[in-house]
Amino acid sequence: MNNALLWYATRGAGAVSLVLLSAVVVLGILSVLRVQSTGWPRFLTVGLHRNLALMTLVFLALHIITAVVDPFTHLGWLAAVVPFSSHYRTFWLGLGTIAFELLLAVVLTSLVRGLIGQSAWRLVHWLTYACWPIAVLHGVGTGTDAWSAWLFTLQAICVVAVLAAIAYRLMAGSRDPLARERSSFLAAVDRREER
Amino acid sequence: MESGDMIQDRMRARDAAMRLLNRLTAGAAVSAVVGVGLLGAIGAYTIPGTASTSTSTASSSSSTSSSSGLQTSTTPVTSSSSSGVAVSGGS
Repeated sequence: MNNALLWYATRGAGAVSLVLLSAVVVLGILSVLRVQSTGWPRFLTVGLHRNLALMTLVFLALHIITAVVDPFTHLGWLAAVVPFSSHYRTFWLGLGTIAFELLLAVVLTSLVRGLIGQSAWRLVHWLTYACWPIAVLHGVGTGTDAWSAWLFTLQAICVVAVLAAIAYRLMAGSRDPLARERSSFLAAVDRREER
Repeated sequence: MESGDMIQDRMRARDAAMRLLNRLTAGAAVSAVVGVGLLGAIGAYTIPGTASTSTSTASSSSSTSSSSGLQTSTTPVTSSSSSGVAVSGGS
């Protein structure tokens, strides 16, 4: 395959992976908030979140494979697995490796959620909040097109979307449908223990 | 207790949501594949990379070097007509 084509594919797949990952993060936050309507049941948000997360891994694999086999950078497979082991843009590529491994951990633990239990799964799932900004930094630092108008706009849209979702999450608080019942039950237990 | 009609309505709504999920997933997959091609093409247009760089290097180097790889001298080369000097030794 033409080396230039590999390089263009790496850049395209990287940009698409960032968009998909941002969409996954936004959908994850919306699923926590239990967002739903008449034509949009809650399981639709969760299902789309899961499907897009798997799709992100596929395009991330394309991004990594095309980058590794591109003879210009001579990255080698070790750089794709061990962070900061690349001679080429060591720090920024290392961030990309870390983001990929965090995402891999999040997706794999989600697939075996039934085996590892809810609390362990939730703990690992919080890594997404580290994975996404690291991936953005990797794109800004490593990306050939990082300061091109088109990619800058794309990154800005992703950042604004995720920050807006996080802000909405923080403002909305818990959407636990049983929150009131739980708190009244705990209050009743506390009153009983005080007697 | 839910009536039969209500259960049927809920099943229909669930089926419709599942179809929507499948359509959205397929749409996202197709968009992502198209996106890789499109964004790659835009990237190639904005920063073509090695192709133009190598061309300019080749053209600039050809103007300053000969085919044998030796640089041309900026000072004129003159011939000497004096008698030769014998040198012995060395390796």
